Amino acid sequence: MIVRNVLGRSSTQARASWFSLFGMTWSVAWLLLPLVFLTSFTWAQTSLPPRQSGYELMSPATRAMQDDEALNPATFWILDGQTLWNESAGKKNVACAQCHGDAATTMKGVSASFPKMVNGKLLNLQGQINMCRQTKQESSAFQLESKPLLSLETYIGHVSKGMPITVERTAENAEPLEAGRLLFEQRLGQLNLSCAQCHAERAGLKLGGNVIPEAHPTGYPIYRLEWQTVGSLQRRLRNCMTGVRAEPYALGSDELVQLELFLMWRARGMPIETPGVRP
Amino acid sequence: MSTSRRTFIVTLGAVSIVPWLNAQATPEEATDAIKKILGGAKPRNGRVNLEISPLVENGNLVPMTVAVESPMTQADHVTAIHIVAEGNPLPNIVSFYLGARAGRAEVSSRIRLMNSQRIWALAQMSDGSFWQGYAETMVTLAACTEEVLI
Amino acid sequence: MSKTSRVVVSMPKTAKKGEIIPIRVIVQHDMESGFRHTERGVLVPRDIIRDFVCTYDGVDVFRAELHPAVGANPTFSFFTVATQSAMLEFKWSGDNGYASSLTSQLVVT
Repeated sequence: MIVRNVLGRSSTQARASWFSLFGMTWSVAWLLLPLVFLTSFTWAQTSLPPRQSGYELMSPATRAMQDDEALNPATFWILDGQTLWNESAGKKNVACAQCHGDAATTMKGVSASFPKMVNGKLLNLQGQINMCRQTKQESSAFQLESKPLLSLETYIGHVSKGMPITVERTAENAEPLEAGRLLFEQRLGQLNLSCAQCHAERAGLKLGGNVIPEAHPTGYPIYRLEWQTVGSLQRRLRNCMTGVRAEPYALGSDELVQLELFLMWRARGMPIETPGVRP
Repeated sequence: MSTSRRTFIVTLGAVSIVPWLNAQATPEEATDAIKKILGGAKPRNGRVNLEISPLVENGNLVPMTVAVESPMTQADHVTAIHIVAEGNPLPNIVSFYLGARAGRAEVSSRIRLMNSQRIWALAQMSDGSFWQGYAETMVTLAACTEEVLI
Repeated sequence: MSKTSRVVVSMPKTAKKGEIIPIRVIVQHDMESGFRHTERGVLVPRDIIRDFVCTYDGVDVFRAELHPAVGANPTFSFFTVATQSAMLEFKWSGDNGYASSLTSQLVVT
């Protein structure tokens, strides 16, 4: 018995006419399936949930301060960083420029890839700069949060402005990344709040008149109007901890670098804004 | 109450309050600072436009623009613009000295404001007259700072 | 604060005679207000820029008197009339012997 569809065509005839519309045969159709799978797979990997930078929540005046290099106070740190990049230092008496050439080319995308595992140790960009200072220049490490270190970090970070953050989960960083995630979800302080409770669950809602940002580290080091100077992500994280009345982790501690790693991974794909301006 | 007890209580009140009076400038201190600038002249309202965002995210760096309507000719121009705050520890913020060579009496800068307050702009003209304008703004605090807020 | 620091001046290089040109200057300076305290409650002494002057061929065309309420890394945007080709000089001076300066050539046609 032949089953006929609404147009009075048999199933075989209907199928045949549909296919002929596209000039297809069954064999071709099957061959195209892996292609469909590959496209969908790639799409699924790269499409991340939409994220919002704290930039979007700022007033037009503050945004203008970030966007205009002539108004952004952090521009001075970029210029200082450039000077340091070309200055010889240490027992080896070499400058960054001697190994790395013109930062504008060679440092492209570098800050967007930190923190990362370097010789089995998790390093943020400040840690990498200090490692080069000590091993390649044979000089002393810069003090954390010092002006020269922040200047170099801002200079190198600025080179990646506009580029997407490329921190991904790898076999190497899986452990510290997981540690960072746990820290992000850990309740802290007298107020007993975790980062996640405000910045993941309540982002977009208000806390004391301020809109809660998602807290992505796209602009670091930033010129924070509150500090009236440029500072690192670690300094800002310590402020967050003071905010929930917790004893802040020390600068350079494992916990802070793990948190940095998790935050950068969480913001992967978002464009670097260094140097940002934030209230 | 006897006179001596009353006197004592009033003095006790005054002694405990007076040390706190200097903690922050008051509109009266701003008035004094403005009086000093005016030097006896009476300011007129108008011609001076002071632009500060009505809502400020952080009082540490507040963009400000002041513009004065003036032909800016040799015969008629703005010689100075003074910015005075009613709610800062010190009333004087900044003074700009222009002249006919400015071409346009418009200056922008970034100032510090401690609290929500009124800010005055006084313009002195080449004929010695003063004109004034003001802006009122609300200053908010940043979230999660280095100090523990009580 | 060190005795001198970086300054950035933005202004056109050329102008027509009589044209009113915009000038923007920014200087690197913490402008320590003298109202801040350290963590231990010690007052941080005032250390600010006090004066800024722009001269055009040696003549003052813009001056600013700064007080502690001028924000850190002070910036000023102002105007001047392009009268003739000349060198413009920008000078900052302040507490503890602070001094910075920069010159910029303007060609007026």
